[in-house]
Amino acid sequence: MAVAELIKSIAQAPEKEYYLPGHRSCAGCGPALAYRLIAKASGKNTIFIGPTGCMYVANTSYACGPWAVPWTHAQITNGGAIASGIEVAFKMMMKKGKIKDEFPNIIVMAGDGGAVDIGLQAASAMMYREHDVLFVMYDNESYANTGIQVSPMTPYGATTMFTPAGPEIPEAKKFFPKDPMAIFCGGGHPAVKYGATASVSYPVDLMNKVRKGLAQEGPAFLHVHCPCPKGWTFPAERTVELGKLAVECGMWFMYEIENNVKKWNYMPKKLKPVEEYLKTQQRFAHLQPEHIAKMQAWINERAQFLGMEVPLPPAK
Amino acid sequence: MSKVYKQVPFAAIVKCPTKNNQSMVTGNWRYLRPVVDKATCTECKLCWISCPDATVDYSKDNGISFNLEFCKGCGICSNVCPVGAISRVPELDFDD
Amino acid sequence: MPIKKRGTGLTAVADAWQLADIDVTASYPIRPYTAVMAEVSKRIANGQMKCEMVHGEGEHAQFSIAHGASMAGARATTGTSGVGVTYAFETFSPIAGGRCPIQALIGDRTLDPPGDFGSEHTDVLTMRDNGWIYGWAQDAQESLDNSLMYFRIGEDPEIMLPQVVAMDGYFVTHISQDYVMPDQEQVDKFLPKFKPQFRLDVNNPVIMGPQIEPEMGPPLEWDRNVVMDKVKALIPKVTAEFEKVFGRKYAPFVEEYMTDDADMVFVISGAHAVPCRSAIQYLRKAGYKVGMCRLRWIRPFPDTALQEILPKFKVVGVIDTNTSYGAAGGGGVLLVETRASLSETKNKPIIQGFTSGLGGETITHEDFFKMADMMKQTMEAGKIIQSATWVNFNDYDKAAIEVKNAWEQAPSKK
Repeated sequence: MAVAELIKSIAQAPEKEYYLPGHRSCAGCGPALAYRLIAKASGKNTIFIGPTGCMYVANTSYACGPWAVPWTHAQITNGGAIASGIEVAFKMMMKKGKIKDEFPNIIVMAGDGGAVDIGLQAASAMMYREHDVLFVMYDNESYANTGIQVSPMTPYGATTMFTPAGPEIPEAKKFFPKDPMAIFCGGGHPAVKYGATASVSYPVDLMNKVRKGLAQEGPAFLHVHCPCPKGWTFPAERTVELGKLAVECGMWFMYEIENNVKKWNYMPKKLKPVEEYLKTQQRFAHLQPEHIAKMQAWINERAQFLGMEVPLPPAK
Repeated sequence: MSKVYKQVPFAAIVKCPTKNNQSMVTGNWRYLRPVVDKATCTECKLCWISCPDATVDYSKDNGISFNLEFCKGCGICSNVCPVGAISRVPELDFDD
Repeated sequence: MPIKKRGTGLTAVADAWQLADIDVTASYPIRPYTAVMAEVSKRIANGQMKCEMVHGEGEHAQFSIAHGASMAGARATTGTSGVGVTYAFETFSPIAGGRCPIQALIGDRTLDPPGDFGSEHTDVLTMRDNGWIYGWAQDAQESLDNSLMYFRIGEDPEIMLPQVVAMDGYFVTHISQDYVMPDQEQVDKFLPKFKPQFRLDVNNPVIMGPQIEPEMGPPLEWDRNVVMDKVKALIPKVTAEFEKVFGRKYAPFVEEYMTDDADMVFVISGAHAVPCRSAIQYLRKAGYKVGMCRLRWIRPFPDTALQEILPKFKVVGVIDTNTSYGAAGGGGVLLVETRASLSETKNKPIIQGFTSGLGGETITHEDFFKMADMMKQTMEAGKIIQSATWVNFNDYDKAAIEVKNAWEQAPSKK
């Protein structure tokens, strides 16, 4: 297993950019910031696989792209499979002496859908087959590229194009999201020895986790929270601010699982009431007190389940 | 009248950029321009690391500056600055 | 030295892949193609083949894995049958449009519903609009030879298209037969190493498959159209080269059998050509001047070759072992394509269709005799009697007419 070169501060972050200016993502785009930080941490010897999503369409419009490193499109269905083929091809061609390359960092950048919905099968199989690939899920909590439709990561109570609020469905979105860390790093995929949540609001932490994931032998998984000004309806300048607020309110948790051992990277001293987070985004504007209470109860349950022993707001 | 199509590379495979992607210049999206007060700025580089477009530049000699060819004016830099050194000024206020 | 072997179309293609030194293959089980992957995995385990087999989680994944490997610059293969083809369908256009020359072995199989392991050509034919190149092999030898020729054509720097080595399920995938496995030296002479112009390489970084604006689409699609003509031009060259190196001669596009003095011919594809030939022997003895034209390619479709060959005859019976419900003329795919090829040809023959061999059934000699009888009636009438006949369902052959008449005359009916 390789040794990850970790940084302790922004000052130590490498200056070289591998995700360059010039892409059509929204002003203030969370996933774009994630891409930049991941590319920065990964460096020159990297190949990106981009299943269809915002980080494909917005970035490559038209017939171009902002990556200084090789990048290929994948279908939204098969990010994990394309990456698997690339990985074994390199290993076999190097073994047979057909190429003299150094084995590259291979990173899948999948959105919610490409990771845990339509792309779940391919991601799971890739992790079962122990490919040396870092699978990153940039979570903007919707199918954003197609105009903000509901995904399995959309929070309970969020408005999307397919989950509008109305008298029949006052909470708009009825279901609570999937837990990708539990899916991929909870024991169901034993070959995944490193998995972590991360956030664009904690750049040093994110870059270190990228390097740890890449250094890990076999598959690794990163679940990155990427606030989305367009999808969540908040002013673009608040992207990083709201990523932090999500953590303070328990709408995002920051931990890693290495060799089955969970380690918290940041735990607020106490969780703020989720209302504080909900009121910053129009997608929650329709929620009634009973919905907010349900949301708070769920957060409290999740926090306890994950082992957060801090004071929790009451779920009235 | 016959239509002439642009040349498109083989299988739409294009070379990676090295400095920036000239095929998607985004500076004209902006209506608020970031301006840094170098006296207040502590060069913590939070703005630099938080820009989704890598349009906050930093150098030891020059401190913080902005790549106005590509900056979209999102305002994240101004929002994350811990000392309020970055203000957002309407583009119309500038001559260039 | 070339080796005489006894095997099937599946072991023959495993031999071809071994000789071609493939780097990656992707497996998933489905009848009747599975044994090729079993064979390759054996050879990997015992060191005979230096190749990585990725156990795909399904057919869609298999094709995606091979696609990724090809983008990285490896020679990659995969395979499937039946509904596996239709499940993987999303990947076909991206692979062909991405100009990744992977090779798929498809042991054809009737599509669900319901489950039917028997051979039908419909599965591979669903791929016909997506830009892959392919044809059916009629036996194990041709399966092996097609595999080598398809690598050579598909990987040509002017072409860069994925290929399907198609073969009839059971008839070619399972029947034990003799064939010759070439030696490595011959193959190395014929098939250059795979060195694509573009691959994923950090020292020459490229972006593959970006989003394009609408007006960039037509030029890319025009390229994919033009390349099909380049394939047509290359096929005779490569087929001739193959004969030089390996000593086996193939007609580039259409194999003609007993057509010299024929006034009617069957147009057919795949393994059913084998009983067709023996049926023709019997028919000839009975006075029918009948021959056979076997299509060696489906994509690109040998329209030019058929325009040259078919006007020699009075009646053409196109045999479709596939379904295309609602298609023009009421028959299958080959009927539509054959008629289209000759639509503007002077002195074109009368072209009628026969759907036969569905579900994995053998096309018996008796079936061929019925078809010949119906074609003879068409010839005598000088015009089409029935556009497309599903043999044994809506035949108008003399025997069927006699039975029908007898039934209508029967005392019990009055």
